[in-house]
Amino acid sequence: MHFYLDRLTLALYALRDNRLRTVLSILGISLGIAAVMAVGTISKGGNYLVFSELETFGLNSVWVYRDRQDKDPHRKVREGTGIDNDDYQAIVSHCCKAVNRMSPFVRGREKLIIQTVNQYSNADVKGVGKDFTLINNDTLIKGRSFRLKDITSNRAVAILGPTAVTDLFGETGSPIGKEFRIGLRKLLVIGVLKAKSRDFLASIGSSGEDANNRILIPYTFYQKILGNKAINQIRAEAISLDKAESAARQLIVMLRRGNDKHFEYGYETMTSYIKTTDNILNGVSIIGIVAASISLLVGGMGIMNIMSTSVLERTREIGLRKAVGARYSDIMLQFLMEATIISTLGGLIGLILGSGSSILLAKLTGFPLIPSLTSIMIAFVVSVGMGIVSGYWPAKRAASLHPVEALRYE
Amino acid sequence: MIRLDNIYKAYQVGDISLPVLRGITLTIEEGEFVSIMGASGSGKTTLLNLIGCLDSIDEGSYFLSGEKVLGASSDQLAGFRSRHIGFVFQLFNLIPRITALRNVELPLIYAGISSVERKNLALEALENVGLTDRAHHVPAQLSGGQQQRVAIARALINRPRILVADEPTGSLDSTTSQEIMRLFQALNQGGMTIVMVTHEEEIEKYTRRIVRLVDGNIVS
Repeated sequence: MHFYLDRLTLALYALRDNRLRTVLSILGISLGIAAVMAVGTISKGGNYLVFSELETFGLNSVWVYRDRQDKDPHRKVREGTGIDNDDYQAIVSHCCKAVNRMSPFVRGREKLIIQTVNQYSNADVKGVGKDFTLINNDTLIKGRSFRLKDITSNRAVAILGPTAVTDLFGETGSPIGKEFRIGLRKLLVIGVLKAKSRDFLASIGSSGEDANNRILIPYTFYQKILGNKAINQIRAEAISLDKAESAARQLIVMLRRGNDKHFEYGYETMTSYIKTTDNILNGVSIIGIVAASISLLVGGMGIMNIMSTSVLERTREIGLRKAVGARYSDIMLQFLMEATIISTLGGLIGLILGSGSSILLAKLTGFPLIPSLTSIMIAFVVSVGMGIVSGYWPAKRAASLHPVEALRYE
Repeated sequence: MIRLDNIYKAYQVGDISLPVLRGITLTIEEGEFVSIMGASGSGKTTLLNLIGCLDSIDEGSYFLSGEKVLGASSDQLAGFRSRHIGFVFQLFNLIPRITALRNVELPLIYAGISSVERKNLALEALENVGLTDRAHHVPAQLSGGQQQRVAIARALINRPRILVADEPTGSLDSTTSQEIMRLFQALNQGGMTIVMVTHEEEIEKYTRRIVRLVDGNIVS
């Protein structure tokens, strides 16, 4: 142990004699390590955030709808949503291997007047099936979800988002069992949804609707209000995220078959959002990694410079050490240790700076702070590695000195 | 103890090979106190470095305590130095940043001695040269004579068979020089073989045998 302590002390003395260069090298290494850690925080935190927000839609959910883009040759000829109750029933009885559960989804084009006696709501009204809350990963904080009977008997019942509750019934008391109106029809509140956050997704251009200002009603009841049998989308839950695309394709095949290929259909899964955010996060990571590499390079050159000077200044000392029995490996190890001390010190400071900037980043962006053992390990390995790599040539030169010439050096 | 037979050594300066030693044959027995003398450039320091295993021999043969030195690798030479040789230099060659004690300990580090034992041995060695109270001073806080005694303590710490000294009094005043030479004499009387390079006549009189070099040859 003392073998290493002795070298450690000598190394520290040598570094004290080269203070400015030591500080600059430590700074270079520590900025590099801090940048590596910040990149880690951004990509990990961002990923976590995106996934947790995507989960508010149900990570495995699949949306299938009529595609009104140019590629639909019937878009001018045929009106309608391309999906009706018969299509849905056909799908329910025959489809689909990759689908776990599904629900019709109906939304009207016109804004409805939603009110109690003296309060109004501007919530979005959605007509849904029994399993919609499960597919959409909605949790109820009060009351119950829809039952099959609610749907089949097109009952006038509703589940409200928290904003709609506040707008219609104020802050106090439970709204369960209370009534409100959509147009002229009276509805009974049976459940209240838990609040959801989609800030980050909204910031990268996901649907602008407010997840908390929704009113869910049986799609059959909505169809009664609208006076038709149209369904806007089929919302399904795939058996896994990987199977989401095949679930969508299976549904589309069924829809096309039921409609004599008169309509084109499109679909959306969470995969596209995951790709978008991955691209953004990768971009940030690349910038960070480039910055980190430049800092580490500067730090490494600094260490090489210090070590070269140190070898030159201590040529006589190296000669003396050799005269009293130091072997090649002894001298090599001594200088490698000095270099590694600088870089590890840089790594430690970088770890502190990196943690600080990660906390700051997390505060500024609202990203969750996920402590990462991996980035600490990377920081450690990189800094020790930098020491060995940049100390290698100077150390080799020191170890290769001829003792007689080294002792004679002025 | 030391058997040199027909030793040749040349230095390369650019393309030119400068012969320094031209066929040296020399035997030094255990317990001798030898001074090597000669004009500057006569090859005396080169000879001393060869005896001390600091430098390699071009031609000839060298046996140190029965071991063949010629052809040894640089790490093997380091092993010879660690086991058999103690060095004393004109400019002391102490490491300026560390204490006398740590300077004395240095050879033991490379001999693989444990730290506790190293400290005890180093304190004992400093006591032998009368510097116990200076153990925790750095070289700059010591006089020239004291520094050279620290260097001697360092040279002796591995219990070498041979002490090799290159102008050990060359940087000291005459009173201090005499102190150092008396210390050498005492060591020699204790059985230590000493080989020393000097050009001072009053120093050589402390030794028992003088080898004179002229142009890389022994003349007497």
